[in-house]
Amino acid sequence: MSTIRKRNDVWHEKMAKNITFIVTKDCQLACKYCYLVGKNEKERMPWNVAKAAIDYILDHENDPNFAYDSVVWDFIGGEPFLEIDLIDRICDYIKTELFRRNHQWFNSYRFSFSTNGINYASDKVQNFIKKNYNHLSIGITIDGTERKHDLNRVYKNSGRGSYQDVVCNIPLWIKQFPHSATKVTISSADIPYIHESVLHLYGLGIHEVNINCVFEDVWQNGDDQLFEEQLMRLADSIIERELYKNFSCSFFNENMGKPLDCKLQNGNWCGAGRMLSIDAEGNFYPCTRFAQYSLRDKEAWIIGNIHDGIDYNKIRPFLTLDRCTQSAPECIDCEVASGCAWCQGENFDAAHTHTVFERSTAICKMHKARVRANNYYWNKLYRKLELDGQREEFEANNAHVKPEIS
Amino acid sequence: MLQYLVILLDDTSVAYCHAENPLKERYLISLNTLKKAILFGMKENLMIQYVYPEYDLPKEYSELIESIDHIKIGHDIKVYNDVTLSSTAGTAILRTTVADFISKQYDIAAMLSQVTRLIICLKDAELFQDEQIEQYKKALSTLSAMVLNLRKSDYQSEVNILTDRLTLKEMHNCGAGDSNITLAPNGKFYLCPAFYYDEKMGISNRLNHHKPSSERSVGDLETGLQIPNPQLLKLDHAPLCRICDAYHCNRCIWLNQKLTWDNNTPSHQQCVLAHLERNAARTLQQQLRAVGLNAGEEIKEIDYLDPFDVREKF
Repeated sequence: MSTIRKRNDVWHEKMAKNITFIVTKDCQLACKYCYLVGKNEKERMPWNVAKAAIDYILDHENDPNFAYDSVVWDFIGGEPFLEIDLIDRICDYIKTELFRRNHQWFNSYRFSFSTNGINYASDKVQNFIKKNYNHLSIGITIDGTERKHDLNRVYKNSGRGSYQDVVCNIPLWIKQFPHSATKVTISSADIPYIHESVLHLYGLGIHEVNINCVFEDVWQNGDDQLFEEQLMRLADSIIERELYKNFSCSFFNENMGKPLDCKLQNGNWCGAGRMLSIDAEGNFYPCTRFAQYSLRDKEAWIIGNIHDGIDYNKIRPFLTLDRCTQSAPECIDCEVASGCAWCQGENFDAAHTHTVFERSTAICKMHKARVRANNYYWNKLYRKLELDGQREEFEANNAHVKPEIS
Repeated sequence: MLQYLVILLDDTSVAYCHAENPLKERYLISLNTLKKAILFGMKENLMIQYVYPEYDLPKEYSELIESIDHIKIGHDIKVYNDVTLSSTAGTAILRTTVADFISKQYDIAAMLSQVTRLIICLKDAELFQDEQIEQYKKALSTLSAMVLNLRKSDYQSEVNILTDRLTLKEMHNCGAGDSNITLAPNGKFYLCPAFYYDEKMGISNRLNHHKPSSERSVGDLETGLQIPNPQLLKLDHAPLCRICDAYHCNRCIWLNQKLTWDNNTPSHQQCVLAHLERNAARTLQQQLRAVGLNAGEEIKEIDYLDPFDVREKF
């Protein structure tokens, strides 16, 4: 069957509660684009905090805030696998408690990790993977070619690039999780390497590459033109080599770049407030991006803690957010609004007042460049399919692809 | 659109809304600042509301104060911090706690016959608990019974938390920073007096953890008004409030910021209190209609007390 490869579905998307343990604020790397401005080696989650958090969450099974069919237990850092012993203990306890309580999440849970991949092959991590294999989602971040990756992803003490220490673990990762995707981050300095990097990642056997531009206000004059050129080169390569059949890249989405209606398409982009994030102190956040180590200027938005529970007044703003209320008129009236993402935490950090209702527009020109390249990609692809006599078949097979925002 | 300029004549000017005035030391607005404030009000076409301290102002202030149309809060409009039966015609403000409102409901009801309009303001709305819902409903029904009896006797008694909803056809909230702005004795503008009190008491504004500050002003008489994110003070930028029909609700942005940390998002407490009042107004409306009295457009029956709980339906 002829088809254009679509991105993997997110496990139980919208049906799963996402609970994030910030197990450590330490990382081997000091990536130059990292939004975690307060990383440190001291704030490691103690076991008693993790246990108390789990107990609190499972004790509130009937609370509307936890009334989901499934759960994703997310572990982040810093680098989560630095705390593999703690994670292993947490996961064992979760499994035991879900069984003991006959909880609805028993057998409907995932353990999710986003790792820099450096100690992926270690015995402890591998033993953990074997033990929990059927309930794991693990993403390794590799940014592309060695020069692109090492431009940003460097060791914190030496400044040495980490590419070689990561790429050696990619074959094992793909063997264990053949459908896994990698996450690539683009900042101003690495725009020139987008084309080569995506193709490189495909060459490593990674079939899904999810890329996003950083949301912070880092963009220089001319970045949008350079970005557009890179994406058009990438479009040419993907189409000419027919890579679209087996690989996907989140830059290209057929439903992107359309106007949006303020009534029918007014959903919020992100799930902040529906998620729950816990740090080493036992504080709760609406998302990790609202913890102090993620914020440049604002005070952390703490919504409760393991002792006092959740202050539901503090999550009301998040759960009433919609696209148009937080958007400037230029965004509401934008002719290419669909697919333009935002990060609630960055919006908050950059806002002029203490609010989550002021959407940052730092990414505007990059989104518009992406839309132009995206239009180029689909026009070129469909023309090729037409000339190859495959267009109708492709269109029929891809009719189910979901829009990026609804 | 701005319509009112609230001028705090002194740091010890009476509190007349939710927030207590914690300032005990006198700091009288200077004549020069007062002159500029009045001029600002005239040029911006704003109705001036002076807020008086409890002591008598120096004589030289009178002429200036009387140089423009105005309302005197603390004088023309009396402010009571406890339930009183002193005879007062006209409008009065009663600032009370939830507990006192419940325990002194009959005394408060008695006040209705002594004023044409009673504005009840809960000083500790943020402490209201769902366990108090039934008691609050009962207290509202006591007031409602008094209003009904007075109106049957042709006495047009008004109490903000019951009768305002009868006549309103759209939201009519506090409007701090939107329809009104406050000028403090220091010559600076604030969204409302509570923000000035917070600044004076050094309460952090949570805006910048690197440079903790209690600065809350939104401009001054020299440079004019500079309200950041002014759209978030308006009804159409308040997702819960714009779908709500508790039209009389104060929609207090100071309480919003204090409890939910966002100016445009009301707390559970504020919503529940407003809806208990709305529903009590509905009952009163039915009773007024039953005896042939005018009671405004029909208030519909609803099955929630907090619009947040049914937000997905809107």
